[in-house]
Amino acid sequence: MTEPIIQVENLCYRYATRNHFSVNDVSLSIQPGEFVAIIGQNGSGKTTLVKHFNGLLKPTSGRVVVNGHVTTEKSTSLLAKFVGYVFQNPDHQIFAETVRDEIAFGPKNLGFSEEKIKEVSMKVMNEMGLTGMEEDMPFQLSRGQRQRLAVASVLAMEPSILIIDEPTTGQDWKESMALMELVRELNENGHTCIVTTHNMNLVSLFARRVIVMRQAKISLDGPTQDIFRYGNELKEAWIKPPDIYALAQSILPGVKLDKPIVPEDLAAMLVEKLNGRS
Amino acid sequence: MPLIEINNVEFTYRGSTAQALDNVTLSIEPGEFVGIIGPTGAGKSTLCWVIAGVIPQIILGKLSGSASVKGLPARTTPVAEISQIIGLVQQDAEAQLLMTDIEKEIIFPLENLKLPRAEIERRLNKVLDLVSLNHDRYRHPFYLSGGQKQRVAVAAALAMEPEVLILDEATSELDPLGAEEIHILAGSLKKEGKTIIMVEHNIDELAKVADRIIVMDQGKILMDAPTREVLSNVEFLQGLGIYPPQVTQTAYAMQKLGIVFDQLPITFEEGLEVFSRLSSHD
Repeated sequence: MTEPIIQVENLCYRYATRNHFSVNDVSLSIQPGEFVAIIGQNGSGKTTLVKHFNGLLKPTSGRVVVNGHVTTEKSTSLLAKFVGYVFQNPDHQIFAETVRDEIAFGPKNLGFSEEKIKEVSMKVMNEMGLTGMEEDMPFQLSRGQRQRLAVASVLAMEPSILIIDEPTTGQDWKESMALMELVRELNENGHTCIVTTHNMNLVSLFARRVIVMRQAKISLDGPTQDIFRYGNELKEAWIKPPDIYALAQSILPGVKLDKPIVPEDLAAMLVEKLNGRS
Repeated sequence: MPLIEINNVEFTYRGSTAQALDNVTLSIEPGEFVGIIGPTGAGKSTLCWVIAGVIPQIILGKLSGSASVKGLPARTTPVAEISQIIGLVQQDAEAQLLMTDIEKEIIFPLENLKLPRAEIERRLNKVLDLVSLNHDRYRHPFYLSGGQKQRVAVAAALAMEPEVLILDEATSELDPLGAEEIHILAGSLKKEGKTIIMVEHNIDELAKVADRIIVMDQGKILMDAPTREVLSNVEFLQGLGIYPPQVTQTAYAMQKLGIVFDQLPITFEEGLEVFSRLSSHD
């Protein structure tokens, strides 16, 4: 087994304003190239957990090792070289006067050459559907466009680990899909991708591993198609699996899924059962 | 008489050249639950703002056609007056929160109405219960999660006891069961006789509660029909980038494989029923 790219050991974190732990004794490891979804109720600790992966938060106790670096020993700016973090609310991230400057800011800080900055800027703007908006003021863009700008400016740093905190906010299904397709492409090129989201349909389509947070702890961790079979446990974490998993379980009890499914897969399984019987 | 009437409405935002609404006509009867779906930029929020008078009174631009609420022209009736009939919960809950704790956020508009103290207390407790925020009532909105902020915005709108509630992607940041809670709440408000207009990307949830769905794209209404009729157009919706309910997609795919359905299921319960019946049928 290769060295994990993220290793979390007995992590506890308490915000100064709270009297309970927001992450409570969490341990996990993520291998390079994984595509992981972290799901759970609002306030279950998802965002707090992932903010440890780039050193935005430092453990109250326990240890987080990213790419061989113990996060308490390194600055967030050093970690930013290989961990990209896209915030839930793009307005918490965007600050520049133009789209161009917003995207160039990260690569500039990382010391990319002018040439390289131009190249990556054009590439990510194209990928995020922002071409032609170089001179626009970020705050005049729509919420969906601002979200894509936030992603573009993180992608421009070409991080080996990409964390996206709720990619669907302010996006419609098509835009969320486009964003996730892009994340998948990065994942196929070797980037480790970690997504927190409430959209279980997206989780089912993209993530190969699901980690369920419940009351500051991990309650389930496994392959996507397996996790969605734990209807009762998920309910306790305020999660509802996509309808097709619950349907498959009720109508085709004992069926084994070796990968996440889409409606067409369930249709084929149901039709096969019907035909097999007649 | 319709509660809301929109006739040939066209709107262009100031500073923009693109028409945000293009010849939109619709009417909504009291007690209806209407879903509005469509890709971003379709004009869904714009339509909500026209209904609430926010356009053109607060958000400026070129508006033509007519919009009325309970016979009052939405264009000229002060927004404050319309807001006693229509509660509007917007997409970006954070932008709506003004006060330093949740309780104040809910009380503020009620005090503006000069309601008696006891009535304000009654409404406050009622809405905090409805959205499960009773324990957080003194927290500063800054410390709330996106989902909690959305609950506060819903509570604040409900406290006004409006006849019409417009929820414009009001559950986008809520966890699945939290969102379901708001949908169920909206469903029960409909049963109490309230009119609900819900802009929503989660079609699975909308299928359970909406009587009727309006499909918009590029400022136009493409379809306005009972929920089942709209959702049965699987390929039409997918072509617009809309994800129809998974049960409907499954049945549609089965249909292509030769299984005949009288009507496509649109909710989980319907799907479970029809698929189980097929599977056990000899």
